Amino acid sequence: MKPEALDFQAGVDALRPENASKHLDFFGKLLVDNREMTIWEHDTRLLPAGARIWRRRARDFARRYIRPDAARADSLPREYDPRPIVSQAARKGFQNLLLALPLGTAFPGSYFFKSASFQVAVVAEEFAAESGGIALLLMAHHLGCAPLLLSGHVPTILRHLLPLYARTLRGRPEIMAFAITEPGAGSDVEETEGGARARLVTTARQVDGGFVINGRKCFISDGAIADKVTLFAKLQGEGLESWTCFLIEKGMEGYSIGRQEHKLGQRASDASELILDDVRVPQRNVVGSLRSGWANNRNVLNYSRPVVGAMALGHARGAFERALEFCRNTLLGGKRLIDYQDIQIELADMMIKLWSARALIWHSCSQFRCYQSASAAAKVAASDISFEVCTKAMEIMGDNGYLESRGAESLWRDSRLTQIYEGTNQINRLAVIEHQWAEMSGSLFSG
Amino acid sequence: MDLSLYAREGEREFVELTRAFVRKTVNPMFGGDAPDGDLDRVPSILDAAFEVGIAASPRSGMPGFEYGIWGTSSDNPGGVRLSAILLSIVAETCAGIAMNLHVQGLASRVITSSENDLPEPPARVAVALQEGHTPPCYRALLGQGGRSDEGIGTRAIPAETGWVISGSKSFIYGMEGTDAFLVFCSTAEHHGGENPGCLLVPAGAQGLEVRDIGGRTGIRACGLSHLALKDVKVAPEHYLSSGEAFSQVGQAVCLHWLGISAIAAGNASGALKAAREYAAVRYQGGTTIEEHPAVRKLLALSEARVEAAFALLLQTAGFASGNADFLRRCAITKLMTTDWAFSAVTDALQVFGGYGYMEDYGMEKRLRDAIVLKTTAGSRNYMETFISDAGRGEIR
Repeated sequence: MKPEALDFQAGVDALRPENASKHLDFFGKLLVDNREMTIWEHDTRLLPAGARIWRRRARDFARRYIRPDAARADSLPREYDPRPIVSQAARKGFQNLLLALPLGTAFPGSYFFKSASFQVAVVAEEFAAESGGIALLLMAHHLGCAPLLLSGHVPTILRHLLPLYARTLRGRPEIMAFAITEPGAGSDVEETEGGARARLVTTARQVDGGFVINGRKCFISDGAIADKVTLFAKLQGEGLESWTCFLIEKGMEGYSIGRQEHKLGQRASDASELILDDVRVPQRNVVGSLRSGWANNRNVLNYSRPVVGAMALGHARGAFERALEFCRNTLLGGKRLIDYQDIQIELADMMIKLWSARALIWHSCSQFRCYQSASAAAKVAASDISFEVCTKAMEIMGDNGYLESRGAESLWRDSRLTQIYEGTNQINRLAVIEHQWAEMSGSLFSG
Repeated sequence: MDLSLYAREGEREFVELTRAFVRKTVNPMFGGDAPDGDLDRVPSILDAAFEVGIAASPRSGMPGFEYGIWGTSSDNPGGVRLSAILLSIVAETCAGIAMNLHVQGLASRVITSSENDLPEPPARVAVALQEGHTPPCYRALLGQGGRSDEGIGTRAIPAETGWVISGSKSFIYGMEGTDAFLVFCSTAEHHGGENPGCLLVPAGAQGLEVRDIGGRTGIRACGLSHLALKDVKVAPEHYLSSGEAFSQVGQAVCLHWLGISAIAAGNASGALKAAREYAAVRYQGGTTIEEHPAVRKLLALSEARVEAAFALLLQTAGFASGNADFLRRCAITKLMTTDWAFSAVTDALQVFGGYGYMEDYGMEKRLRDAIVLKTTAGSRNYMETFISDAGRGEIR
């Protein structure tokens, strides 16, 4: 390097905040944060102790167990055996997070002062940063468990949820799935007006000792591998207002798995059709009260949407990290890509978006009860940001971006689903408005 | 959207010919389980494209020599415009097939516009413009400013029996069974990218290694490879530049960007049509979903973007020339049309809800193709830098 270049570099180094702040007085230095710490670490330290622990555990688990399986699970989903990773996650306590210790594995502080979803969302981001499919495979289980908990029906919780969690802790995990979508009704059943007009066919007929259910559900995540499914059906001769949740168990006569979809991404988790042909369900498998299904379903979505947002955020963070690595390792014109200011601006823009999504997600599940507007807003914002950031990550990498070996394109494919499931983002926008609009007058934000 | 409306008097027969070709030959690719269509059919589809004259050929006796996509009729803006429309029509059904026709036409155009008459031009050719992470010959076209590098890395050295080439090229799209590659090199006496040369390298040349690129997101119906050249000997008559290499590079880059834009716009137009058809028959909430405000909004934005993409594409094609300003216009066109087209496709996919994400409806393929078209041949950052440099007069 020429002497004048060395002088310039020395001048630049002297102006860097960490060096310049040495000239501050003692108290001034105390007020400057020059710790060498990643953003991940900064954010982790914002969390209450329990969530902080789960965030660290989840990152370690994702790197150790999910990362090695990610490419294979995406490229050969039909050959991928999900049981080992489910068992491993269960052993580590990741599958019992919907209840606080000692009944589940969530830490009570974060559980009661935040919400039941908070620690799940924190974990979801870490898993999804490595593989969208495996993250969904593990997270769909919580969605399946949620109606049992949110029914608020103590016999249901005692009869079904607690034994399930106990078996999981004893090393015999069961996979749960959640089934609301039908071929003729997708996002309809995730919104009030749509629900009123939805054409649902799955029907439960009351018989001695229980119900007989007929119908079909589609696009059910983990449907093919689930041991049990919380499934919603209307009562015979009634409309959606009669929706009731039933616990369907693998092996019940008349219950079978139909078509398994071929998806753009999130392939490690199957999206399957469930066929119910005169399935006899005992009374004890009714989740909560009769006709409580619609309310339960809507509340499940309030708790699950922040988690979907967190998964979307994870995909985007994963793609960002791969783009960052690419920019560090790729030379252009004798310089690393990351040394170009226009690339820095792009990366910074992506970071800002990731940060804002995380802030909204954590905000949306920071109260004991998740509520509709905030949950839906977090899901919409995070999934839109995710797809945008993943797209930018691929763009920054140019032609390398669309090569499977670079890892960003699979996360891009994964992220696109988050704009669709758990209600399309169009439906979720209506949910943001509906919750406030119908009940309140005046300003929504200033009280 | 009916692309025929963009065709002028005298061009409609080519449009109809292309539509018939797509109907009869390309459509049967789809309908099976494979997400990208039956790729085993691609060779026969391309054979048919040569036979009917949609695929350009550098051989003067072949049907597509003049009026194939980027055939010799592309000497004038009208021909460029027509080729762009035909590419879009093919891409409405399959962007990968369109990419095959585009790169074949691009290579043919470089050969036919050369002052050197090749005694027997190869039938199937691909253009090797790109090196490493750098977009097509960006370095060769850039003056002293911006990200000027050491020039084109692939070098051709004069030898007694012609030229000897060493170096590498990356992300070369081309038909399966390509007979030869057009390799843009820096010639020894002009090393530094000041005056690149274009050489025709037969696919079987000793020292040429064609490397498979591995799995990729989209445009899978078109071959994609890297080239490694180690002391590859090329006959003197295969040096195509004759002092015109710089304009050859410029022309190739212009047509490449226009071609990518045309394919992206066509792909988006196909996605929009599919979404409209689906919205008209899919009932939800007591009406077809085309009545739903959210769906109408998606379709309207998608349509607006597709229209804007075609407007810009065809306007730019109408300015076709060999000067630097055309290059700047093509860069702007590539930047904007691929972006609009991508947004149009993702909005169209959203209309399908969950079904859009599944392979059966073909929308996920269109999205995969759209992202490849957006990122290939110059990512957003490069196009922005290029346009900025061109605006300051730094592109030659």
